Amino acid sequence: MDRDVLDKSIVLCRSCDLVVRKRALPSGVRALCPRCNSYLYDTPYCSINGMLALCLAALALYFPANFFPVLELHFLGSVRTTTIFGGAMSVADQGYWVVAIAVLTAAVIAPGLLILSVLLQVLIVKYQLHNPFFRKIYKGFLCQHNLISQLSMLEIYMISIFVSVFQLSDYTDLYFGIGTFCFTMLFIVVIFLQREYDIEHMWSVLNEYK
Amino acid sequence: MSTSNTSAQGQRLGLTCCPTCTNLCQTQNKTCPRCGQEVTSRDYSSIQKSWALLITAAILLFPANLYPITVMTSQGQVRKDTIFSGINHLIQLDLLPIAIILFTASILVPMLKIIGLCIYLLAISFEVPISKRKLMAGFHIIEWIGRWSMLDLFVISITAALVNMGQLFDAKPAPAATAFALVILLTQLAAKVLDTRLLWDRLESNDDRT
Ligand SMILES: [Zn+2]
Repeated sequence: MDRDVLDKSIVLCRSCDLVVRKRALPSGVRALCPRCNSYLYDTPYCSINGMLALCLAALALYFPANFFPVLELHFLGSVRTTTIFGGAMSVADQGYWVVAIAVLTAAVIAPGLLILSVLLQVLIVKYQLHNPFFRKIYKGFLCQHNLISQLSMLEIYMISIFVSVFQLSDYTDLYFGIGTFCFTMLFIVVIFLQREYDIEHMWSVLNEYK
Repeated sequence: MSTSNTSAQGQRLGLTCCPTCTNLCQTQNKTCPRCGQEVTSRDYSSIQKSWALLITAAILLFPANLYPITVMTSQGQVRKDTIFSGINHLIQLDLLPIAIILFTASILVPMLKIIGLCIYLLAISFEVPISKRKLMAGFHIIEWIGRWSMLDLFVISITAALVNMGQLFDAKPAPAATAFALVILLTQLAAKVLDTRLLWDRLESNDDRT
């Protein structure tokens, strides 16, 4: 069998190792494994400028979302606020550092790394920085991309804020802070960023400059 | 997609899919030409790693559910809530939707994950005749819902940071929080390290009607 033809025309299922012949797909359609229904591939749709804009928007929202208060509690005349970062820290202060690390990783560190990693990848592709140093960085980010995007759990934190509000509304008055607004916007921007980003396409960019 | 080559495994053609960048590689090369990471056709040790992580998680499930996860002080009254009693309390407060969300995220999802992975590993290790398609469908569900267990930890961190007014009104995490965090971490890892391609090698195809 000719290896070059083989490499481009077939794909292996990552879950069950089935050999599947690749076909052209209309955009927005995903190919699933006929045997185990795992995701195989889709048509790469990746706009570098669009991703750059989304990255910058996400970066601008990231800091207010993490360091402005998400919730305000009014109790007997005194006001308490908390930020996402502060929530994790207060759990750590009481000795529950496993919980604190989990919260920090999923809600602060992983989303931050995700935005930063995509931003740098986009900049390297856009300005065609393909000397060995940038190639190495680019490759490193691509290798870690799946892990980072799995660890970031913005959507779950969103729901958690609302669950906390309902839980506590029985005891006291709660108000949303400016952080909640920024966090919601960040969440929406990151959803669009992840839709736009295609890791197969990013890998193929690396091959072009061999 | 063609069903004529349903039984063709990549392993038989000497091909494999790079676990890091999903590039098609020849098994004999040992490293992926695109990302430089090591490639092997199958990871046989993944079953043992997955079992070890899963058994540890199953053991930790007991302290996570039996010990209190939060301590709430309200007007001098101290309440210690386990995951279950906390949900029960929410039902009594007529917050049924919140109770259902927390029940799903904190009790149903971890239990289903452990039981599901256990069935999956039993099927591979002891070649229990269960339909591979059903197992794989279950596995996809487990991978997708697993993240949602983080919800309870986020809620605890938000509540602990906000509700902190000494004797009058106070909320703190309790020992089960760490156990619960570890259950989430270990079950996620157990699903992640498992090489699902082994399922399709070890079980004979007569378990499936197709
Ligand atoms: Zn498959």
